[in-house]
Amino acid sequence: MTTLSAIELRDVGVRIGHKQIVSGVNLVAPAGQLTAIVGPNGSGKSTLLKAIAGEWDHSGLISIAGRDMAALRPWELAGLRAVLPQAATLSFPFTVLEVVRLGLTGGRSGLTGAALDMLPFEALERVDLAGFSGRFYQELSGGEQQRVQLARVLCQIWTPVLDGQARYLLLDEPVSSLDIKHQLGIMSIAREFADAGGGVIAIMHDLNLTAMFADKIAMMHRGRLEFDGSPAAVLTDNKVSQVFECDLRVGVTPRAGSPFVLPQSTLLS
Amino acid sequence: MLQRMTPEAASSRTQQLDGDRSRRARLAIFFLAIGLAAAFLFSLASGASDASMLAVASDLLGLGGENALSVRDSIIVVDVRLPRAVLGILIGAALAVSGAVMQGLFRNPLADPGLVGVSAGASLGAISVIVLGATSLAPIVGFLGIYTLPAAAFIGGLVSTLVLYGVATRRGQTSVATMLLAGIALGAMANAFSGLLVYLADDRQLRDLTFWGLGSLAGATWAKIAAAGPIIVIGLATAPFIARGLNGLALGEATAGHLGIPVQRVKSVAIVAVAATVGASVAVSGGIGFVGIVVPHLLRLLIGPDNRYLLPASALLGGCLLLLADSVARTIVAPAELPIGIVTAAVGAPFFLWILLRRRGVLDL
Repeated sequence: MTTLSAIELRDVGVRIGHKQIVSGVNLVAPAGQLTAIVGPNGSGKSTLLKAIAGEWDHSGLISIAGRDMAALRPWELAGLRAVLPQAATLSFPFTVLEVVRLGLTGGRSGLTGAALDMLPFEALERVDLAGFSGRFYQELSGGEQQRVQLARVLCQIWTPVLDGQARYLLLDEPVSSLDIKHQLGIMSIAREFADAGGGVIAIMHDLNLTAMFADKIAMMHRGRLEFDGSPAAVLTDNKVSQVFECDLRVGVTPRAGSPFVLPQSTLLS
Repeated sequence: MLQRMTPEAASSRTQQLDGDRSRRARLAIFFLAIGLAAAFLFSLASGASDASMLAVASDLLGLGGENALSVRDSIIVVDVRLPRAVLGILIGAALAVSGAVMQGLFRNPLADPGLVGVSAGASLGAISVIVLGATSLAPIVGFLGIYTLPAAAFIGGLVSTLVLYGVATRRGQTSVATMLLAGIALGAMANAFSGLLVYLADDRQLRDLTFWGLGSLAGATWAKIAAAGPIIVIGLATAPFIARGLNGLALGEATAGHLGIPVQRVKSVAIVAVAATVGASVAVSGGIGFVGIVVPHLLRLLIGPDNRYLLPASALLGGCLLLLADSVARTIVAPAELPIGIVTAAVGAPFFLWILLRRRGVLDL
């Protein structure tokens, strides 16, 4: 098996009611890479991710490793990709451990035996929540809840590649309610998942974190994929200013040569 | 009895430091099973005619011996109390499990077949058969025989559940306020039609209706068990298959789907199972309220909301509570008896208020 696996979108559109939210998106998110989707509010990022996750009906084709995702059964998909929603609610007083264990429902974590039993604890440690397993989910802060959900998602496809099949994390704003330490921590988890052969598609708001961790940036604007490519190719003055509709200057960090955008740069123009 | 089954002592030993409540849940189920057996014997032995629990047990097991029951007592136990106790367990289990399943389905601890109009729909079905059974529905009665009443109640319950779910759930999110209000509207509508039928009923039918409507196990016969029992048992038997699905639904329909749960199928099975068990229960015992809300809520406090344990535990505690309530109903004004619905409402309604008060901040109606 040498075929490089990917999640591939061909001419994907999403219509909700009479409104076309997303249209004509062509995108390849290969295994082994972290693909970030960025764009202003309402540009269709979340809708696109929901289409990839199978929540919305869509036109066009979304395939995973060459197979049409719409034709896969829920349990098959659960072994191929895990989804971190933007906001997760929980309706009963589950403990943190019980929530994380829900990630094991599909039975395709890739571990067995004692390692499987310990996996929820390991996942919690991974998101810096060791010792939280006995707490009630609803008592945690928003950022902690988000990390519990990530631990659950990680459990679902713990090994990035299983039986020669790369698996994918779909993350909808994974760091939106986190402090800077945990923003870096969570992005590192995503980065390592990709480095180990899995694929990651993440919706991001923070362009600097995106530049730091992403291999590839897909920039959405008004329901269309405006630009995609490496951070250096996409994060340019013109592109960023055009898509976000405000005058921004992109800088470059001295040593790593990574692009960055400061809101203060609007004042320079 | 209840206090013995919710022991803080037993749970504190397995300190839930790591958040794993499955051992505690299994232990609770074990004690609930013992409690149910005890309540069963107790209910057979208690009543206007006294027969000791020991004698009842040895009689049922065919042991005979020196403390055997008299022939009269034996008849009372086998033909009167035994079907009543069996029916009590079935109904109690049905109401408690359907409450728990509905709460899982609606992702809300206040969803209860009695509160949101499902029982009212089932009652309408049953009343239609009682009043119109000899006239316009006669061909159906001829065809379905003793199953007509449970079948009609099932259809009534199913229609209300489907309408309720359709109205209250948008994109996998259920609004509490919409659910309760829609339930009230549905219940009122069903009750209006029921009232119309009652208005049309003759004297004999009225007596049947009144007695049945208050909720009672008094009419328990083996024939009724034969009619409702299989439906209830089948409904209860689906519970283990949807338990994991209901757990996933706690995270919302979309996330449940991502976990690999066939959400649509779980929902359909849950709705049909609830309608079937509630319908069959209402058909034979009328409206017995609050079991479906009190039992799962108590158990969630004790063993957590994992439906793999919650559903069987609800069946056991539901059966147990209904047997005890029935014993109270039979003995408190002996030799007359109270309808059991009055007992469960008298205990359940304040409990329901207590839940509301405790969750006032969270619910935010």
